[in-house]
Amino acid sequence: MTRAQPPLRPGSYLAFLVWALVLVAAVPDAGLGPLLALVVAFGWVNNRGALRVLASPRLWLFIFSTVALTPLLLGEPDVRWGPLGISWTGLETGFWMALRAITLTLAFSVSVAALPVAQMIRLFDGLGTRGLGFALGVALNAGPVLRDTVEAAYHTLRLRGGFRLPVQTARLFLITVIANGLRYGDDVVKAASARAFDPAGRPAQIDPLLGKVDKAFIAGLAAIAIGLLLAI
Amino acid sequence: MKSYTVRDWVYIAVFGALWGALELTLGAYLHVLFPPLANTFFTGLIMAGIGVAIALVGHTFVPRFGAVLFIGIITALLKVLSLGGSKIGPIVAILAEVILMELALLPSTLRGKPPARWQYVLGGTLAVAWNFFHKFVMMRLLYGRGITEVYVKMVKDGSQTLGIDVEQTVAIIGILFLLRVLVGAAAGWLAWDLGRLVSRRLARV
Repeated sequence: MTRAQPPLRPGSYLAFLVWALVLVAAVPDAGLGPLLALVVAFGWVNNRGALRVLASPRLWLFIFSTVALTPLLLGEPDVRWGPLGISWTGLETGFWMALRAITLTLAFSVSVAALPVAQMIRLFDGLGTRGLGFALGVALNAGPVLRDTVEAAYHTLRLRGGFRLPVQTARLFLITVIANGLRYGDDVVKAASARAFDPAGRPAQIDPLLGKVDKAFIAGLAAIAIGLLLAI
Repeated sequence: MKSYTVRDWVYIAVFGALWGALELTLGAYLHVLFPPLANTFFTGLIMAGIGVAIALVGHTFVPRFGAVLFIGIITALLKVLSLGGSKIGPIVAILAEVILMELALLPSTLRGKPPARWQYVLGGTLAVAWNFFHKFVMMRLLYGRGITEVYVKMVKDGSQTLGIDVEQTVAIIGILFLLRVLVGAAAGWLAWDLGRLVSRRLARV
């Protein structure tokens, strides 16, 4: 919520994500290095904060476990190390897999995931789906309420000895959580109606999804994609 | 979509938030418990089963074309916006599942009639069965052209888990697929009952 205002409009971020997804799937292994460099550069220029994902221990745990495990799991063993068979083909596959995973994760983090919620809601307004933007806002605010509901239902059932009948308890738990969630939803409906919110109406001001800079940016992405695919 | 009321959008938000909350809590816990390379089976299967049930219960309360799709989009967006949640695999899985559920619900939408239980069961089955193909699609993205290796690994893992000889490739793949079909069908069946039970509790029948 406290992210800086991105310089490009939301449409560019969406286009960048699609571009990166297509290229990760389409470029040969040798093209992954330049692609990763481009994704990092995009993140560096537009939203350096989004690159913080690279400091995530979970990401590196996944990357290192991939590189470490694939020589043991994939390909025919070239070297025997006690009970373990190590395959060079597997190691190579693991390396490229890790590179693709980093590129995908970064592309996602620096594009749509870097958009502030308000921008994302504006994106839906721009696409003519105002209701979906409204629903996203409600869902984000409903999170803590639903978590409290889940906890209250869980503890009530536990204190009443509900775990002795697990199937019946699971059913009761789901009914309680869904029913309370819907009751909360009814309160939101009343509040929205009181403010005369109309999901089919047009908002007072809609920012276009793409400006001149964005169109030039997307043209540049297309040129880079063609260049990458032809060069490698 | 213009026919969607404020109540419809709010209910879509509530079910999306519920599915999202479970993905962020239970999903993260299961992913830690079963690391992606060490386990090809359970995490996705459990999360898909629960998610499918919630989305289909959501359709009971918003019985309109696209409602399940929107619930999935909200869930995916909540995952995108969560701290450290910007992983593309589960997001692709959620979107594919809701599209398949919408396809199963399409016949009744086209006829302008309320859906039948079999459509919930079919929707659940298709959505959870996607979990089987999802691995191939994501591994195509991650591995590049190593899809054969994924198939071989799936057979090896399946052989170990099920205690079946690795030579019985077709049987292993068949059982793994059937498991998903059964979980999906059960999720659809339960969602039908659960939706009606909650409706009765809230006196909306």
